Amino acid sequence: MKNHITNRKANSNIYLPLNGKIEEIKELTNDVRLLKIRTESAIDYKPGQFFMISVWGAGEVPISATSLYKGNTTIELCIRKTGIVTTAIHSLEVGQSIGIRGPFGNGFPLDIPRGKDVIIVAGGIGIAPLRPIIKYLINNKYELGRVTLLYGSRTPDEIIFKDETEQWKESGISVILTVDKGNDSYSGNVGFVTNLWHTVRADFKNAIAYICGPEVMIKAAMRDLFFFGMSDEKIITTLEAHMKCGVGKCGHCYTGPKYICTDGPVFSYKQIKEQSILM
Amino acid sequence: MKEEFILNKNHLSYWLRQIRKNRELIGPMINGGNDIVFKSVEKIHEIALNCTASLPSPKEFLFPQYEPMLKMHHPSSINRQEIIDLSDKTKRVIFGVRSCDISALALLDKFYLEGYKDPYYSERRKNTIFISIVCNNPDPTCFCIGLKTGPYLENGFDIQITDLGDRYFLQADSQEGKKAVRSMSFLFSRPKKADYEDQYEVFLSSKARFHKRINLEGIRQIILSGKIRDDFWQHVSERCFECGGCVYECPLCTCFTVIDRQYSGSTERIRLWDTCMFKGFTRMTGGVLPNEKMVKRTKRWYYHKLIYYPETLGSFGCVGCGRCTITCPGKIDMASTAAKLKSLAIIDGEL
Repeated sequence: MKNHITNRKANSNIYLPLNGKIEEIKELTNDVRLLKIRTESAIDYKPGQFFMISVWGAGEVPISATSLYKGNTTIELCIRKTGIVTTAIHSLEVGQSIGIRGPFGNGFPLDIPRGKDVIIVAGGIGIAPLRPIIKYLINNKYELGRVTLLYGSRTPDEIIFKDETEQWKESGISVILTVDKGNDSYSGNVGFVTNLWHTVRADFKNAIAYICGPEVMIKAAMRDLFFFGMSDEKIITTLEAHMKCGVGKCGHCYTGPKYICTDGPVFSYKQIKEQSILM
Repeated sequence: MKEEFILNKNHLSYWLRQIRKNRELIGPMINGGNDIVFKSVEKIHEIALNCTASLPSPKEFLFPQYEPMLKMHHPSSINRQEIIDLSDKTKRVIFGVRSCDISALALLDKFYLEGYKDPYYSERRKNTIFISIVCNNPDPTCFCIGLKTGPYLENGFDIQITDLGDRYFLQADSQEGKKAVRSMSFLFSRPKKADYEDQYEVFLSSKARFHKRINLEGIRQIILSGKIRDDFWQHVSERCFECGGCVYECPLCTCFTVIDRQYSGSTERIRLWDTCMFKGFTRMTGGVLPNEKMVKRTKRWYYHKLIYYPETLGSFGCVGCGRCTITCPGKIDMASTAAKLKSLAIIDGEL
């Protein structure tokens, strides 16, 4: 098992949440909000790692970091209301406390060679774990090749980080949006992200891809990119699971021979195929 | 380096009474329904020596079915000073454990203490001494002998006792075990040649009493050969009641869930045993059920114990205690399934 223990001295009990205070809340869509949380001390984390977010009385839920660590004490989390804990999180106000454990997991590999093309494929809330990669790429844009973001959501109203996608475009990233179902005021693409490969300008054989979204989308995107000649080691995704502990003990995210919380949540297509992780 | 001693049978209860002065003494007792249950001992003569399998396994003293983890007093606000860690620091001695359960303990230690260290298991573990008895009365369901997880252990125990008839041959392996013996050294004497000979006789005698000799390494090879089709696992899963008994009774199963419970004035975070046999075990956001089909869960249990356990922890996820045989109403326990797999392999002309 990989071991990513940080802040060990501060907290020898891996199940004890640290105290965080909600500094800012931004409603992104009807059921998705962005929280900016300030912690007592700086917590170092990498894109792709997740935190166990704790609300007393409701429980804990794993949430991927959606901000890039800058050496400060703030963490941004993007949370959709789906269950008991996320509903409790959505009822919190600015100034209230929230528990944070972590970070856990292995995080995305970001050692991208100079000049490499990058393809980011996001579905729905899957844009949240990928957002820090986009920020990282913008910070390093002069070293990279072409960067493309393919982002699909169900409806135009459910596009998360809509404002930021404009900024990303201005920073040189090719942003291609699509929705499953359009409406009267929407004039963009309609359909699945995996039907829009023709819009991607990239040398697939030498590109690297980061994928996050519904499992069916992940599988289809991985298969297609591999078919286009991309190395299966360079097709990288992050998997979701309903962790209870985050540290490889409770067994809820056990899939094939791997724990998603410690061996993942980031896996390459090569790992997924060889170890039957998505059975 | 283990130390070896002889203890007069008449002195056992005195020794246990002295140990009990600063530790809770837990031992196998026969309850109202004639089950063997480990619980706190009040009268030492009630301990059931030569007992068969207890249900549940002694695992529950290190990994309880219900374990409070953290407590927070209201009013609702998180401040680390207000969150109480509910680690159980009780000093215990668990007497009369079987060798296979001690073998299971070694794997639990590996699982819970390596990588991230589980603080609740760790706290209980360092405060508990196990005194195991070399098994000379195996159940018909037992098969530890094929797995080298019993009936006699060479190492990895605290204190191991062999019943020589009129006296006990006692071995202490861990530091805690040695300390427990040295503190009462006047009760013990050094073994002589005749004692070693009698001990070896008991060892041979207990080996001869086992009904089942199951070679799990052979079963693992059969599974890895790829010749077992999914309809075998389908057949196995059709007999599954989804009771979770195999998981709950297994000394090596480690799955749990975590919930919050509200009381007037406080909230407690609790962990409870869970079982991968339940449909909702891997339920995800939006109600997605990755392992909805029973055949997936059943197959995964066997793969986990026979394929992945050796890969990650170095031993099978089975110590041959036979509890899943006792528990399973569908007769698809480890021993039965292994026998079916073996017979399938023989039919194919392999062994």
